[in-house]
Formats: sequence, C-alpha cells, structure tokens
Amino acid sequence: MWIPVAGLPPRLTLSSLVGAGRFCFLGAGAATRKPLQARNRRGLSDSAPQLCPDPDFRKSPSRVKSKSTLDFSRYITSRRLAETMAQLVRGKEKKPSHLFLECNPGPGILTQALLEVGAKVVALESDKTFLPHLESLGKNLDGKLRVIYCDFFRMDPKGTGAIKPPAMASQDLFQTLGLEVVPWKAGIPLKVIGALPIRSERKILWKLIHNLYSCTSIYKYGRIELNVLIYEKEFQKLMADPGNPDLYQVLSVLWQVACDIKVLHKELLEPSQEKLYFIQITPYRNLFTDNLTPMSYQVFIHMVKHCFGKRKCRLIDHLRSLTPLDAKDILRQIGKKKEDKVTNLYPQDFKQLFETIQSSKDYAYKWLYDDRLEGRYND
Amino acid sequence: MPSRLRAPLHSGSCSSGGSLPASASLCGRRRPRSYNFRQPGRTHAQARAAAAAAAAAAAAPEVSCAMAVLWGRGAARFGRGLWPCGRPGLPAEEGTLGGLCGPRRSSSASPREDRRKDWGHVELLEVLQARVRQLQAESVSEVTVNRVDVARLPEHGSGDGGCQPPTKVQPGAQGTPSGLFVQWAKRLDKDKQIQQKRRQRLEKQLQKRAQNPGFSTDAKRLHVEPRLLSKQLTTCLQGCTQEVAESPWEEQLAQVLQEAPRKLSLDKKLGQRLKTRFANRQQKILAFLKCCLLTGHQSLAHHLLVTHHSRGRSQELLTLDMYNTVMLGWAQQGAFRELLYVFIMVKDAGFSPDLVSYAAALQCMGRQDQDVATIKRCLEQMSQEGLKLQEIFTAVPLCKEERAAVLRAVLKAKPTFKLPERPLSPVNNSKLLRDVYAKDGPVSYPKLHLPLDTLWDLFKQQLRVELASTVCVKSVEKPVAQSKEVRRAALQALPAQGESFMGLARDLGARTFSRHEVQRQQFSGQVEALKRHYRQYLHLLAADTEVPEPYLPRQYWEALGVSEPPQEQPWPLPVQVELGRLLAEILVQATKMPSNLAKPRNSSRLVPLLYHVYSFRNVYQIGFLKPHPAYVQLLATAAEPTVTFEAVDVPMLCPPLPWTSPHTGAFLLNPTKLMRAVDGTMHHQRLLENCPPAALHGALDTLTQLGNCAWRVNGRVLDLVLELFQDKGCPKLSVPAPPSEVAAPHEAPLPSSTGLVDKAELRRELARSLKESREMHSLRADALYRLSLADHLRNCVFWLPHNMDFRGRTYPCPPHFNHLGNDLARALLEFAQGCPLGPHGLDWLKIHVVNLTGLKKREPLQVRHAFAEEVMDDILDSADNPMTGRKWWMGSEEPWQTLACCMEIAKAVRTSDPAAYISHLPVHQDGSCNGLQHYAALGRDSVGAASVNLEPSDVPQDVYSDVAAQVEVFRRQDARRGSRVAQVLEGFVTRKVVKQTVMTVVYGVTRFGGRLQIEKRLREMSDFPQEFLWDASHYLVRQVFKSLQEMFSGSRAIQHWLTESARLISHMGSAVEWVTPLGIPIIQPYHQEVKVKQGGRGLQSVSYSVNADSSLKPNKLKQRNGFPPNFIHSLDSTHMMLTALHCYREGLTFVSVHDCFWTHAAHVPIMNQVCREQFVRLHSQPILQELSSFLVSRFCCSSRPQKLSQRLDDSKLRETLLAVPKPGAFDLERVKHSTFFFS
Repeated sequence: MWIPVAGLPPRLTLSSLVGAGRFCFLGAGAATRKPLQARNRRGLSDSAPQLCPDPDFRKSPSRVKSKSTLDFSRYITSRRLAETMAQLVRGKEKKPSHLFLECNPGPGILTQALLEVGAKVVALESDKTFLPHLESLGKNLDGKLRVIYCDFFRMDPKGTGAIKPPAMASQDLFQTLGLEVVPWKAGIPLKVIGALPIRSERKILWKLIHNLYSCTSIYKYGRIELNVLIYEKEFQKLMADPGNPDLYQVLSVLWQVACDIKVLHKELLEPSQEKLYFIQITPYRNLFTDNLTPMSYQVFIHMVKHCFGKRKCRLIDHLRSLTPLDAKDILRQIGKKKEDKVTNLYPQDFKQLFETIQSSKDYAYKWLYDDRLEGRYND
Repeated sequence: MPSRLRAPLHSGSCSSGGSLPASASLCGRRRPRSYNFRQPGRTHAQARAAAAAAAAAAAAPEVSCAMAVLWGRGAARFGRGLWPCGRPGLPAEEGTLGGLCGPRRSSSASPREDRRKDWGHVELLEVLQARVRQLQAESVSEVTVNRVDVARLPEHGSGDGGCQPPTKVQPGAQGTPSGLFVQWAKRLDKDKQIQQKRRQRLEKQLQKRAQNPGFSTDAKRLHVEPRLLSKQLTTCLQGCTQEVAESPWEEQLAQVLQEAPRKLSLDKKLGQRLKTRFANRQQKILAFLKCCLLTGHQSLAHHLLVTHHSRGRSQELLTLDMYNTVMLGWAQQGAFRELLYVFIMVKDAGFSPDLVSYAAALQCMGRQDQDVATIKRCLEQMSQEGLKLQEIFTAVPLCKEERAAVLRAVLKAKPTFKLPERPLSPVNNSKLLRDVYAKDGPVSYPKLHLPLDTLWDLFKQQLRVELASTVCVKSVEKPVAQSKEVRRAALQALPAQGESFMGLARDLGARTFSRHEVQRQQFSGQVEALKRHYRQYLHLLAADTEVPEPYLPRQYWEALGVSEPPQEQPWPLPVQVELGRLLAEILVQATKMPSNLAKPRNSSRLVPLLYHVYSFRNVYQIGFLKPHPAYVQLLATAAEPTVTFEAVDVPMLCPPLPWTSPHTGAFLLNPTKLMRAVDGTMHHQRLLENCPPAALHGALDTLTQLGNCAWRVNGRVLDLVLELFQDKGCPKLSVPAPPSEVAAPHEAPLPSSTGLVDKAELRRELARSLKESREMHSLRADALYRLSLADHLRNCVFWLPHNMDFRGRTYPCPPHFNHLGNDLARALLEFAQGCPLGPHGLDWLKIHVVNLTGLKKREPLQVRHAFAEEVMDDILDSADNPMTGRKWWMGSEEPWQTLACCMEIAKAVRTSDPAAYISHLPVHQDGSCNGLQHYAALGRDSVGAASVNLEPSDVPQDVYSDVAAQVEVFRRQDARRGSRVAQVLEGFVTRKVVKQTVMTVVYGVTRFGGRLQIEKRLREMSDFPQEFLWDASHYLVRQVFKSLQEMFSGSRAIQHWLTESARLISHMGSAVEWVTPLGIPIIQPYHQEVKVKQGGRGLQSVSYSVNADSSLKPNKLKQRNGFPPNFIHSLDSTHMMLTALHCYREGLTFVSVHDCFWTHAAHVPIMNQVCREQFVRLHSQPILQELSSFLVSRFCCSSRPQKLSQRLDDSKLRETLLAVPKPGAFDLERVKHSTFFFS
C-alpha cells in the first residue's frame, strides 16, 4: 500500500509507516519531522502489528498540502519485498561480488536486506533526516555500508552554476568511492538499486538514456546495471514494440536498443491494484559499433524522434527529411518495403537503419541533422 | 449555390470516367459527404485563393518563377477535386493523388483525412476551374504550358517516381444532369424534401439560364446575378434581368434605390459582435477581393461576393467595404450592369451605400458616358441619403483619373458644379507646440546643401531602387578566387543551419505584400503622381530654390494639395502566413540540385536543395527548412561577391517622404508604419487613425525632420575598419574575426583505438566549437552587412527615414546601417551637411572627445577641455597613425568614435582658422540617467534631482556613486549590528556594482533581475568570496532599492502609483492606454497569448502565438510592470520631440539616439539651451493630473455598473487614479542653469 505520510496525525504515523504496506511516500518536508525518524528505527520489521489498510487514508491527509507534494520519494517499507529484491539481485552467487549503489534508501529496509545477503552497499540518500539512521545500520560491518548525502537522480545537473548538495557530480562520487573506469566491453562495474522517483520516471529515463548513449555521467565508468522499481504503465511503454503500436515510442526504441531489460519481480499494490515491476537493465556489451558511437548517437536519437514525430507515416517519407541519400535504396538495403510505417519497425531495425545510412560510402553528406539545432540534451 | 455549379462538373467527369450508371452511383454516395465538409473547408479555400491571387499579383522576380508551379498546382488540385467521383480507382490511391507534393503532403494527414479536406475545397476548385476554362478560352497556350509543367514535375525530390497519376485537367463537358439528380434524390431520402426543393430551384435556374443567352458562357460559371434575400428587390431584379436587352439599366438603379428597405440599423449590436469575431475572415475576403481587382479578375471577385451574399450565414461576413471594392472594380472597367448588381446587393444586405459606393457609381457613369437623367437620379438619391456631393472629392480617396471620371459625370448633370476648395489642414494648438507652429517670430528652417537637380536625380535613383525591390551591394568580404561552375545563388539568405519554417513563411508573406504594394502603386498611376509632387516638394529642401514662406516639410507637402492615395491595409497575419507557407512549399518543391556536384551537369540525378526537417526542443517540435549540406559548402567556397538587401533595409538615396498621416511617409513606395509594432497588431494603427489629425502633427514633424537629416560615410574610418575586417578582425575593437580565425572543429577521422569515453568528450568538444563558430559567424555576417552597406554608400549622401515605437521613441527604419548601432556603426556616420566650427566649436569637439573616452566623467567641462589639451599629442598621433602610432584611441570607452573625433580635431587645428573649418562630425550631449531625471522632475525630488544633475552644480553629480554611498551607509550599520553578509561585503560596495541596477530600476527591473545583475558584478571580482555570492547579491539588491527609496521618495511614490493604476486597469480587463503630452495615443500591446494554429495541410501545420491583439485579455503582469517604464519612455520621447522641433525652428541639424542628442559642434550651446527649456516646459505641465483625468475618463464607468464586484473594482480604481502623488519642493526652473543636465 502507498501511504502518504505528509499530513498524518502524529499518532498514526508510526503504525501506518511500519506495518501497512511495502512502501510509503514521504514528502521531503514531512520527513524532516524529528520524532518520526526516531520511532522509525524501532519498528522496521514486518513482525510489528499491522494496521488495516484504511481506504480513507489517502484522502484525509491529502488536504494538507505542503510544498513538497511534488517531490515525493518512494521508500520501501516492506521487509518481505526488500528481502525478495535482495535475493533477486544476489542471483545464484553466494555472496554478491558487485558493489550496490542504493538510491534513496529512506528508512533503510532494503539496505538492511542487502547487507544481510552480504552485499557491499553505498547508500545515496537525498534526505538528511535519514542519514544518521542509515549510518547506524552500518555499524559493526567494517565498511560494508557507506552512506553518502547525494541524490542519485540529480547526478550531474545541467547548467553552469555550482552543484549544490544533494545534487552531485558523478566524478566526485566515483572518486570518493575510489572506483575506476571499467571499459565498456568489460564486465559490469556496479549495480544500482532503488525505485524510480514516482513523478519523474520519464524524465529520469530520458536523462539516463542520454547519458548512456553519450557515455557520460555514471556511464562513463562502464556498463552500469540498473535494478529499479517502475510502474507498470511506464514499464509497458518501455518494452513496447510494433506488437502494441499505441505504446510504442521513442523511449522504447532507445532503451531496447541499448539495454537488455529483464523483469525480476512483479508486485501488486493492494488498494490501487497497480503493478510495480522490479526490472534489471543491463546495457549491451555490443551497443556501440563503428557507426553508432558516442560521437554519432545524437543523430540516432534525432532520427528516432523524427520518425515518431509523425508515427503513422511511412518510413520512406521520414527518410527524405532525414538524409539526402536515396530513400528507396536505403529501404532496400535494410529489407523494408515502401509501405512500411514507422510503427512497423522493431527497435533493432532502427539501429540497422541508422547504421546503413551512417556507413554508406558514396556520399559526403549522410544526414541533414545538425547538432546545433537541438536544444536540451546538447551539452 | 454550389450545387448549380457542380452538376455539370460531375456529369463531365462521369462521361470521362466510364460507364454512366456505375460512376453515377459513386457520385451519389459521395455527394452528401461533400456537403458535410463544405462549410469548414470554406476558410481554407478562401485563404488559398487569396494566397494564389496575391502571388499572382506580386509578380516579383522570384515569385513569378514560381507562378507556373502555382497555377499548375491549382490545376492539379482541381483535377483532384474531379477525380474521386468519376474515377473508379482504388480508394487508397486517392490519398496519394495529392498533386505535386505527393508523399510529403500526404504525410501530414492520413489519406482519408486528406481527401475529406479536399472535398471542402471542391467549391473553390470549381471557381478556379471555371477560371482556368475561361483562361483556356482566351489563351489556350498558357494553360497547356502550365499543365505540362504539372505533369512533368517529379513527385518528390529523391526522384523515386511514386505512383502519381497524370493530373490532367478535365475539360468540363456539358451533359444532361437530370438522370443524375434522380439517383441522388433517392439516396438521400432523409433530406428528400429539401433536396427536391433544391432541385426544383436548380432546374428553374437552369431553365432561366437556357432562356437567357445574354450572358457569356464564362459568366455563367462565375455567378453574376445576385440571389437576393429581400423579395421586393428580387422581383425588381427579375424585372432587370428580363428586360436585359431593351430596358436601360440605369433606370432600374433609381427604382431599386427608392424601393429598397432600409435595414441598416436593425442589427447594429449584432454587427458589432460579429465584427470582432469575424474580423479575420473578413480581412481575408477583403484582401482576396482587392487582389482579384488588381489582377483583373473582377468576375471572380464578383462571384465570391454573390455566393457569399446568397447564403445567409456567410452574408454576415460581408461588409460594405467589400461591396464597395467590387463596385470600384466594375467602375474602373465601366461595367455598369455588374455594378448595378452589386448596388442591389448592398441594398439587399441592408447597408446604405456610402460616399465610396456613390463615387464608384458616378465614376462608372462618367466612364460610360451615361445620359443625364440617370446621373441626376443618382445624385438625387445621394442627397436623399444625406450625403454631400462635395465630400466625394474631399473625403473619398480617388486617383486622378478616377476623379476626372467622377467629375465628368457630375458636370454632365450639374454643369455649374465646382470642385470644392481643399480645406486648410487644422493646426495643432496644444500648449507645448504652440511655439513651434506660431506663424510669427523668427523662423529659419534648415535647407539641404544640395541643389534641386541633384536631389531630383537622387530621387530618381531611389525610385528605381524601390521599384526593383532589392539592392545588390558589393560584399566587402575578401574576394576568393571563383571557380567556373559556381553560379549565382538565389537562396544565400538561408543560413546553413536552416531557417524555421514559420519564420520563413512569415517573412515571405510580408515581402510579398510589400512587392504587391509597390506594384499596385505602379499600376494605379500613383508613381507618376508621386514624381510630380516630389519635384515640387524638393523646392522646399533644395539649396538653390526658394519658397514664399517658411513651411515645415509636412505643411508644404499638404499645401501642395497632394491627395491622399487610397489607403491599403496590410494583409492580416493569417493571410500573410498562409501565403508565405505556400511560397515556402513551392520553394522546397521547385529548387533542385545535382546529387553529385563533381559530375557533369546532366549525368547525375537531381535532388532537392531544401529539406523540411524537424528539430526537437524540449516538448516542441519545430519545422525547419534546411539547405542540402553540399549546397552550403558550395556557397561557402563560392563566396558570393554581392549581398542582396530589400529596398527598405537600405538607407534612402533621397530625402524621405514627409510623414503626413499614420500610413504615409518615409519610403517612396514601400509601405511603412508610423508606429512599429509586432506583426498583426492593429490597435496602434487604429488609435492613430482615430485621433484628430492635428494631434499627431508634433510626432509627424519630428519624424520627418529626423529623417531629413542627410548623412555620409566617414571614409577614413571605414577604410581602417575594412582593413581590419578583411585581415584578421579585432574583437576588442568590435570588428569580428573571419571564420577562419576560429579554431576549426577537429574533423579528422579518429583512430579506431579511441575509447568510447574519449569519443564522448570529443563530441562535446565538437559541439561546443560548432556553437562558437556559429556565433562568430552571425557576428561576422552582421558586420559584413553593415560594412558592405557603408562601402556601397561611401560616396553618396543618404537619408535614414524614421518611425517610432508604441511609446513614441524614434528609430531609423533601415536596420543594418544606422546611427543607433554600436560604437563602430556610429563612427562610420557623419553629417553630410557641414557647418563651420565657429568660435566655440573646437572646444566642444575637444570636450566631446574626452566624453567619448569616458575618462573624466566626474570633472567639470573646463577640466575636460584642459585634459584634451594635455593629451593633444596623443589625439594628433591617433589621427595620423591610428594603427601604427601610440594607439591612444584604442583605450577609450568608445574607440571608433574617439578616433573619428581625433581626426576631426586634427583637421580643424591644422587649418589656418579653426573657426572657419567646416565640420561634419556630430557632437553628442547625453542625459545623465535620463529616466531618473524624468522621475525626479515629476516628483520634484530635491535630493534625487541633485544627484541626476537637475540642480546646477560645479561638478557633475553621479547618481550611481551616490546610491553606492547610501548603500555603504546601510551596510556599515548592519555590519555593526553583526550581519555576516554586511561584514563580508566590506570594501565591495562600489559604483560599478550598483550601476546597472540603478540604471535599470527606472525601466522596471525587479529584485529578481537586480539580484542577477549584482551577482554578475560580484562574480567578476576575483577577490570576492564566491560562496557568499547569493547572499551578498540578495542583500545588496535590497539595499539598492532601499537607498533609491530614500533618495527618490517622490519618484518611488509615482512609480508605485503607476504600477497600482495599471494593475487595477488590467484587472478590469483592459490594456492601459494614455496620451503623451504631445498628443500621441499609446496603448500597451501586452495581452495574453493565444496560440493560433493554421491548417495541418501542406508540409506542416504552422502555429504562432498572438499576444498583441487588443481584443484579447490583457496580460496583467506585463501591463502592470510595463506601465511605469513605458510612461517614462513616452515622456523622454516627448522631450526629445519638443527639443527636435524647436531646434528645427532655429535651423539646426538635429538627430537623437533616445536620450542622446546630436548636432554640429557649433550649435551645441543652442541645442543645450533648447533642451533645458523644453524639459522645464514639459514638466511644468500637470502631467500626472492630466494622466489621471484621462485614465479616469477612459477606464472608469460613467454609469453605475450592474454587478457589485464591478462596482467595487470601479470605485477602487477611481480612488487610486485620483490619488495622484504629491510633488516635492524642487524648483524646476533651476534645470535651465544646470550645466550637466545633458552633457
């Protein structure tokens, strides 16, 4: 169950937080309440008495609107779920060899579960309130847990100004952790585990995918694996392909081309019947080729965006706006027909299309796209 | 009435489409559809037609080349309109039938949608078809040529054929429609009755037509006969039609006029409502009608009018203007019968004909040489309507020939009739301007230094330029060896990174309009009239001619009896955009280049030159037109030796036309607005037109005078700049470096071993350098334009026509090269007319040079003068060896102007008698913080007035230092109290830190903006602890505001009062309006943005936001924040205008850059005196009281409003407006003795 804690009467806070469900929302403002955290520590286990899920729970407190209503974090409060997740990421190994970066652990239930399976964890917490508690978790574990005040989802912010904590430069983070750059073709340097922020799933996905293709930010250090909780709706979009054209979109193509996405676990949220997916996103070892490189990825992204700008059109029409090359010839090369629409192409087809154009030899000008036309992710 | 037209068309296509029954059933099924979609499609059809006609009208070079395509397209689409019903083709293929644009067009909408939309156009297509047929009849060859064009044009760029069926025009063969109708009626059993009625009517009409062979076959397709709503009139009309052969039409006219019911008053309210709602559509129709007339498509215009008239809904769209326009068209052709039809329609629509209608009728009679009785009846009718005959000649804009025709008719009926005398133009007698227009007293308006013949030659040159519409100027870019293959490029204006589709469309639309305007004037003989008048006008300005009494240029022009040319409204924005879009689409389709430039011309296939691509910015998707990269490369290597400008972007070669009304003045032929505004804004123009003509005289005369100042290029400075420009540039002296100087992006192929991370790094590096080089490029292009123009005008005298913005601030119209530009641009200009230095001129030059260096800002004039003497060696050295010497001038604040001044001084001191040296250099006098000066004067703040030099003083006061000192006082207090920020800031509160904020506070800078400004300054200081940036800037901005509050208490009260008033006014739902003391009406054009989306057809849909239309709700925040600065700007512009007019009366050359006044060195003392006197006079007026009472009368309800909330708002507003802040105790007269008020 999802519990908005923001405006709960103090008396209710403890029990609802502890027992009622697997997660809770905490507004940043709410979380700064001192007593909350103090009591929190005591009741972290599932064995605590559970309060019946009260359907009115969500309505009554929602009247209290703090300015933080917009940046809720999602915390895992269910012991069972945390343990399941920890088991899943451990896999067949007896003791996980990878380092885990846990994003916004909050009350630290998952952290504990991870530590229990023997993982080395770095907890990146953006809410100062939780820091002391998290640090206390790592006592007597000789350095298996490190707690850093940092917001993983605001890593390497845009703009030129000084970076204010909890935002952080990935460079600094990796330096403090003493991590080296691992070549792309080599193994996975570390795993990230956590829940995507509830209101900005798409934004984060966009940011991450840009970083991934350009090998910047965290992906500078290698093929970092993400293990994240994501809503069903967003997940379906992420995994969409021509089979369900209505959900198929730019993000689907970009992520599926770049990463191997596996579903590890499904969780049903009780009152709302919404599904939450625990997925593993591993960048492909062979994502980058001679043609698709961090140099040319912008063109690839632009190409996909352009195609989905008018998704019901034929591919051939888009090609004419994308490249001065002969559109029919290209279609022939990738083995598509003239009538094929954008939504008939599988993600890998887009990559093939891109590579075909990019590798065409006879032409001096392969693309009409211009780096300088773009605004946002163009650093 | 489209059914009447459609019938033969369908049958025509049927007969060509195969067996009759099958296709007939097809027809039957589709028919209702066409009805359904006809209504919404209507506007598009009109817009397209307007666009087509407009493009036809503007036969400018590049447009005319597109004409074949355009008409071809028309034909193609019309062909398409025919196809679906007759052709038993696959439905899927119909979508791809989209004419020329093929796949790209259909890519914007699904095929089905596309077809639907096209059905909406069928109606207009029929019109076009009819027209095509008409043309066919007239000149078969023309149409066939076009048709071939259509067929031959490849479907799309990449040349991969596609399945475009030949779009051949189907000749509309006549067939018997009856069988068809029977089927049709069956299918539509629901609408049976209606349909039957319709059919009966149709048949009746067909019969009638058959009986009446009087009409030509062409006219049958275009409606000529109106279908009237009033029965009475209908019978009368029928009488007309039947008696066509024998009865004289003109008798009918009188009969009609008498019998017509008067319906005008019946829906006045309704009319008002519709006016705002339909204004856009109405403008479209009007623009269309006018273009039709201009291109000789009177019958098409008439048809449109008739079709609209006969349908109740669309009749509401029609205005008297439209009827008059069509009538005028017929009058020009002398077609009386058609004119009469329109006249009947006017009556039928419930309008009462006005002067223009009667003028048209009389003109027609004059041309046709009608008999006396008819004319008499007409005149009689006119007087019955309460219209005076005289007014036709005074109030109706008619060209000379038209006047003659009207007069001929009138004289026939009334041989004794005499043309009325021109009424004397009213004289402005406002208090401020009384002196300017006083007939007594010494007046010595300046004359130009050129003789009449020279000026006349110059005029002819300028006229040629404007008729040609573009000017080719030799580029000053260092010439590159040219390869032979390179041809002249027509599209060089398009930047390499592409141009947004919307911007291009707008630009093309606007340019087409101005071409159209020039042509219209040429056709209507206005150019000849202009020549005549201008020659006479030159007598006033030329050096060797005399006029009997002193006149201001405007007065003289008016006294010449120049009849106002008929006024042309610019096409409304939607029309312009639509047209521009069409042209841009044609551009994309028509321009081709060989795919491989290296191969010989014929062997490689053609690829499009322009591509329509999308760019993604956040959530927006913006369409761009982008040239082929190979083409960009080609252009770069070709280094086009000329730069092409629009005629209006180049300074004029002869004195501009005097401004005589809000829409006439400046350029000879190109339309120029008196008040510049965002495209599509009408309310400024409306306000100006509605105010009494005399009220604008002050503004008109000032603008005329500013434009009449002759300029020339300072050749020596230009040479030096060009040398730098063609060499390596010098960014320090604001001469941008050539692109070759920018580190070229690293393009070499990477070694395969490069790591991914390095690649990513490299990409960013590349993007950064690309961005940098693009910025450099735009700077370079800007300088290139400026210098090329300067070089082009090197040995000429030229003029900079002026207009004003909505607050009355004046600006020169030519954008690239004018005296408002940066230091470099200003240094390139000097007065063409010289003036001996006189006894004190040299001193003023010396002071001027010191002023320009910015070194002795806080010293009195004597010290500045002494300093100039001191550094005289450097000055002379700078003048003699600017690039090789000690380069003293380069260290100055305004280096190029300093250099120009050094040269002038050097020349003057080296003549035997410096007093007799003829100087051309403008000397500036700058207001010190002019905005605050006006505030201080309004509020009569003693402290503030002293710090902005309103108070006489030995040394110039510096408000920025004063504020800084005040801030320092507060800071020390706080520091003592233990504020950490205040302690950190010790030693950092300087003039420089606060200057920008103080300067802009007048112009409404908020704390937010002020903090950013201060933060920037603090950041620049290396020794400031950067972690305190935010806190310190936040603290400082509060202190600056507090200090200003302290020093300018009265001013701040006024600012607050203005803000509050504006807030309440905009809260009531209106935009703030006021009238400057000189009488210029002002309205703040800030409204809530409305996104207008225009059709999704074609390459892309275009949408733009309109925020300037007065019918929209005001943008409260902008109205509120904008009022104080705009009001102050309107005051400073008033001050400038008053100074300008009085200087002009003294015979001075005067120009201004807002609050910086320029004149000859010899005249600086006079200008200074005038400037102070006028400031005092301006502020002696009860400015705020007048503003208050104007606002009360304008915005407070005279009657008690119904709702309580309204009543409360109203009383609150009234209360606020009446509470004018009380002024302080400052004595304004003291300004007259202040040396540093302007210095």
